[in-house]
This record gives sequence, C-alpha cells and structure tokens, in this order.
Amino acid sequence: MYTIDWARLFSRTSVNAPRSKVGAPAASTSRHRVAATVWYLGLTSFFTDVSSEMVSSILPIYLVSYLHLTPIAYGAIDGLYQGFAAIARLGGGYFADRWRSHKAVASIGYGLSAVCRLALLSAGSTWSLLAGTIAVDRTGKGIRTAPRDALISLSTPSQDLGYAFGVHRSLDAAGAMLGPLVAFMIIWRLPGNFDVLFAASFFVAVVGLGIILFFVEDAKREVADQPVSITSAFGLLRIAAFRHLCIAGGFLSLATVSDSFLFLTLQQQTGFSAAYFPLLYVAVAGVNSALAVPFGRMADRRGRWRTFVTGHVMLLLVYTTLLTPAPGAVRFGLALLLLGGYYAATDGVLTAMAAPTLPGNLCGSGLALLATITNAARLLASMLFGALWQWVGLMQATVVFSAVLTVGLVGATLARPRARILR
Amino acid sequence: MSHSRGAISRGLLFATFCGVFLALAVGTVLVRHRSVKSSPGTEPPLAENLSILDSRGGLLFSSAAFDVTNGTIGVSPWDAPEEGRHRTELRCERVHFAAGAGLCLTANRGAITTFSARVFDPEFRVRYTVPLKGVPSRARVSPDGRRGAVTVFVSGDSYNSTTFSTRTTLLDMSTGGQIADLEEFAIIREEKPFKAVDFNFWGVTFAQDGNRFFATLRTGGSIYLIEGNVDARSARILRDGIECPSLSPNNRRIVFKKRVSPSQWRLHVLDLDTLRDEPLAEPRSVDDQVEWLDDRSIAYMIPSRESSGGGSDVWMVDVAGGEPPRLLLRRASSPVALKSRGETRTR
Repeated sequence: MYTIDWARLFSRTSVNAPRSKVGAPAASTSRHRVAATVWYLGLTSFFTDVSSEMVSSILPIYLVSYLHLTPIAYGAIDGLYQGFAAIARLGGGYFADRWRSHKAVASIGYGLSAVCRLALLSAGSTWSLLAGTIAVDRTGKGIRTAPRDALISLSTPSQDLGYAFGVHRSLDAAGAMLGPLVAFMIIWRLPGNFDVLFAASFFVAVVGLGIILFFVEDAKREVADQPVSITSAFGLLRIAAFRHLCIAGGFLSLATVSDSFLFLTLQQQTGFSAAYFPLLYVAVAGVNSALAVPFGRMADRRGRWRTFVTGHVMLLLVYTTLLTPAPGAVRFGLALLLLGGYYAATDGVLTAMAAPTLPGNLCGSGLALLATITNAARLLASMLFGALWQWVGLMQATVVFSAVLTVGLVGATLARPRARILR
Repeated sequence: MSHSRGAISRGLLFATFCGVFLALAVGTVLVRHRSVKSSPGTEPPLAENLSILDSRGGLLFSSAAFDVTNGTIGVSPWDAPEEGRHRTELRCERVHFAAGAGLCLTANRGAITTFSARVFDPEFRVRYTVPLKGVPSRARVSPDGRRGAVTVFVSGDSYNSTTFSTRTTLLDMSTGGQIADLEEFAIIREEKPFKAVDFNFWGVTFAQDGNRFFATLRTGGSIYLIEGNVDARSARILRDGIECPSLSPNNRRIVFKKRVSPSQWRLHVLDLDTLRDEPLAEPRSVDDQVEWLDDRSIAYMIPSRESSGGGSDVWMVDVAGGEPPRLLLRRASSPVALKSRGETRTR
C-alpha cells in the first residue's frame, strides 16, 4: 500500500530532500513520498521497540519469579526515572541542535539502550545494578526522541510531515506490538532461559542502531548557522504558533488517563484477568500501527489540527465506553480500537504540527520542549487520576476527566489556530 | 555510479556491524550455558511422596539447580540435606506446606505467560488449580493446613509504567476456593476504620489456629505490620516498618525484613509482647519471607554469589545469639520445614 522508492532509498545525499518553504509546492518527483531517512528511522525505532518491549514485558516475571526479588522498591524510584528521562529529553534536543548533529545524539540514545540489554544480563540480582541499568535505558530513550523527530521533520517537505510521522509511528508501534509476542515465545519455548532473551533483545537493538549509524544522514539545513543557546531554546516559546501548540498539547494531556488506569478500569468492570494485561498493550499498539499512516495522510490533506482534535474525540469516546453499561466484549473491543486510533491521530500529528513552526537550527530543542510539556502533563494527570480514584472512586474520576477533556475539546475547536501550516 | 557503490559499502559495513554483535550475543549465551552445564549434574532420585523422610522430618524447597529439576519441588531429609536430595515432578516457583496440605505457585508458559496456584497433597498430586492475577511472590499454608495465602505482583507491563502493586488472597485449602482478597478486609488504625485505594498487602503468616494472621500493608509510602482475623474479616495496624513477617511456631516472635536502603533489607526479630525488635546475625541483605525451622532458627533464600542471576541458596541462622548464618542447602529457594512425619500424612 505504501510504496517504497528503492531508487531514492539507496541513493546517497538526495534522500534528505531540502525542506521546502511553508506552502511551497514540493518537487514534482517527490510528491507525497516519504524520504528514505524516515523509513530508516522508522526501522530503527521498529527494532529498538521490539527489543525494549521484549525486555519490559518479561521484566516482572524475571524479577519476581526468577530472581526472587520484591519489585515494590521499583515503583518507589519510578518518579526518579521519569525525572531522568525529562532532563535527558531536553538535553538531547538541545545538544543535538548545538552540536549540529541530530544523528549523532540520537545514535548515542539508541546505543545506550542497546548496551543496557547486555548490562541487564550481567546485573544479576543486584538491585543497584538493575535499577541503574533501567535508569540508563530510560535516559537513552529520553535522549533520542527529539533529535530523531527533528531528523524526520528536517528531511520532509512540510506538507508531507503528517504522512512522514505516520510512517515512523506506524513502524514504532509495530515494534511495540511484536516485542512482547517475541519475548513470550522465547520464554515459552525455552523456559528459564532469560539470558537467551536478553541476548536476543541486545542483538535486535544493535540492528536498530546499525540502521541509524550506517544509513541515516543529518539533514542539510537551509537555515544559516546561528548560535544555539539555552536562551534561544526557551525563546522558542515566544513563537505564537509553537506556544499555542504547547498550551493545547499540555492541556489536552492533562485530561489523558494513562493506559494502565484505563485497563484497570476495564478489568474491574469485566473481571478480566490482569495476567492478560500485556495483550491489551499489544492490541492497542497493533491498532495504532495500522492507523498511524492513514491518519497521518488525513492530517496532511484535511488538516492536522482537525485530525488532532478528532484523536481526542476518540479518547473521549473511550471514557464514554467505560461509563456505559455495554457488554464486556463490546466494551473491550471498542475501547482498544478507539485508544489505538487516539494514539495514531495525535502522537505523530502533534509533532508534525510543531515542526514547521520551529526554526531549523532549534528544531530538536523545540520538539524536546513540547514532548517534555506533554509528558509532564500526562504524569500530573496520572497522579490526579490516582488521587481522584482514592477520594471519590474510579467511575467518578473517569467522569471528571471526561468533563475536563470535553472542555479542552471545545476550547481546541474554538481556538483553531490561525496559522495556515497548522490546519 | 558512486551512489550505488556507496550503498553497497554501507550495506557491507552494516552487515559486518550486525555480524560482530551477533557473535557477541551468541558467545555470551554459550559461555554462560557452558559454565552452568559444568556444575555437578547427577540427577537426584525421584520422590513420589514424603515417605523418604524419617521421624525427624526434613525440608521441602523449590530447586534452583541448573538442570531439569530447576523450578520443581525438591525434598531433603534433615540429616543430609545435600546428599539426600530428591526431586519431584511438581513445578513450583514458590511452595509452602503444612499439615498434609501443600500450596504451589507456578507460571504456565504460553503465548502469554499466566500464573496459577495449585493445592497438592503429600503424594504431590494436584487437587485444585486456581488462576492467579499476577507474578507469584509469597505462599503460606496455615499450621493446621486449613488455609492458604498467596501474594502476587501485578504490573502495568508497559514501557512507561514501572509501578508494581500486590494482591494477596486467602484460599480454603480443602476446596481450593477463595476466602477473601485482603483488600476486602476492614482495617483498623488507632481504633478507627482506615481505607485507601493504594492499599497493598503482602506476606501473610498464620498463627497455630489458622485464623489469626499477620501481614504487611503498604499505603501512602508507609509499611505496616497488621494483625488480622480471617473469620472476622478484619485486621488492625500494629506497628510500622515491618515487611514480610513470619510468625514463630510458639506464636511469640516475628522475624521480618527491615528496609535499610531502597533495595537492602536486614532480618530482624520482633517480640510480640513488647513490640520491640533487634537485628539477627545475618549481615547480608535478605529479600524473602523466612521459614521457621523450630522456635529458635529460621531459613531463607540468598542469591548465589557465583552466578549472575537465577541461582540461589538456602541459609539458616539462629534467632537469638550471635552465631553466624550457615549454608543449609545449595541451589534452592522457598524452603519449608517439615517438622515431623505426622505432619506430612494425608489428613
């Protein structure tokens, strides 16, 4: 369905199509094609996600059943991990701009996570080593996100950004879907052989790292070299269109209930065994992977803001599904389908909206800033949801979040940005 | 055609890069498996029931040996725990046994790993199987064999969620039915009802009557020792800072793990009359619910130093007096004391 232009894929410098001016027609030969760089970065993310989900899906069994550890301590330092990831994300975006190499910084991020797979194997049951390895893995993930997205946006004409991010996120989600299945397959066939699992995960991560190292090149910028400083990075918030996106993205994220809470609600309503939780993530990743490209193209053609708002309407429908007394199977099917659709219509689309508002020399910093704002808002939302659940109950908490999301959606519809690039 | 030549050389570089690391990954696994295989490998004889034990009783445990017995129940007599080691065909990552009733927690591998609790008899026959909601962590059977307690870890299993919660359920050992989830129990703190959604219970230990019990409750970042009553479906908070309690056979003392750093625990003993505790003569970190061997000594699992991951040994230490701990059984975890033969017969 999505044609790969092999000639372009294997040509050298022309893969990084020059970034065209806003609204300017792209070169007729590259119309609505995704640059090879985007495919390569998508494949890197695919392999990296297979690798990381292989490990994270099996980690509870490894820690508790195999190493006989009590992972309650793990939760206690989760906040610390989130902090690490946020700092790493901002730093990754900023230094990629400053050193003028998004590829180098993203590669460091992918490399760090790959090394962690082997480190996990030799960490044994020493808690400090295990916790340290997981922290480094998170740092790696934080570092690479913004430079990678900057590379995608700098390699793509702005009218095709939705499509390009759709392709990338589709491959990324496909990896997240396959990872747990591969891991369970290994543990099923080779019970107790966690070393085989970690070594396989390491190799898969190395393949992803190899693709970015050998096939991806830094985008050539049209923007003249300008000094990059902390002040100029934060000065991005003075760009009205970017600021509006940060506010809208942040506010809507505040109304986002985390997947684990949604699954917990579903589980409490239907008595579904929590042992099958990994399957729910697999299903949502599958839907996300299937829909990311169509939604990305829709964003380019019908309007990115409209697609982004549509995505959040789907999230509101997920909440509604949880609040209505539909039969369990129907509720499950609808919720998983809509949740996958929500991710497909929002994650890449928000980045595709933000990238053209940023000057090329600060693209990484800007995307890192936006991602940090939405992530912080999601974390805050999770804490708020947890607190509400405790004070007033699960259903009531869902009602409150539905109301906040509705307000956000009305606001987003009214505040439809004037900037043409966002439409 | 410099473009295609560049593409070919990059392809070669990529293939070499992957090849080198594939060799590294395969090599690591082979080296680890060879070091594992070189460990003593004579298979212990099969025990079909507990009659291999004499009147002095013995030990039941989950094997951590790097052979086919890994993860299955093993039996050893007191006098010669190493040489008299027997294997069984019952697979359990965590096991407990009392008064003729056994509780076995295990993983069922499949396209998605699921978990179950099995109630078994002294012939190691599974009588009931109960599905579990998470990864098994602790198992206890009441001294009268009437009730069982199971703690599992439930996690979000996603890239971003690393928080774990625990679920503790009580089972009727004679029917395999669930008596209660501890979250349904009424909790009393300072004479007042106390309730929060972030309640996490784990590590149940039963008194001789099979009705009174102790367990850990975590809420709002604090860890408490609770004392409960199964029939009354209630429990009260006794003290803070006590994890994984284990009640002595005479019901007077509790050995527990006290957190000394985010990932380090030291064994302490609590006197139930005074509610004061003191450390045991075990200087290493112990992350286990200990088993009382008699009213004076306890056994517990310690990860083996020589193997990175998976291997563990069972150690013992006296609760009073400063005698250093000693190795009880190599390559084992989840020790259970079978004190006398009478206890091991079918009820």
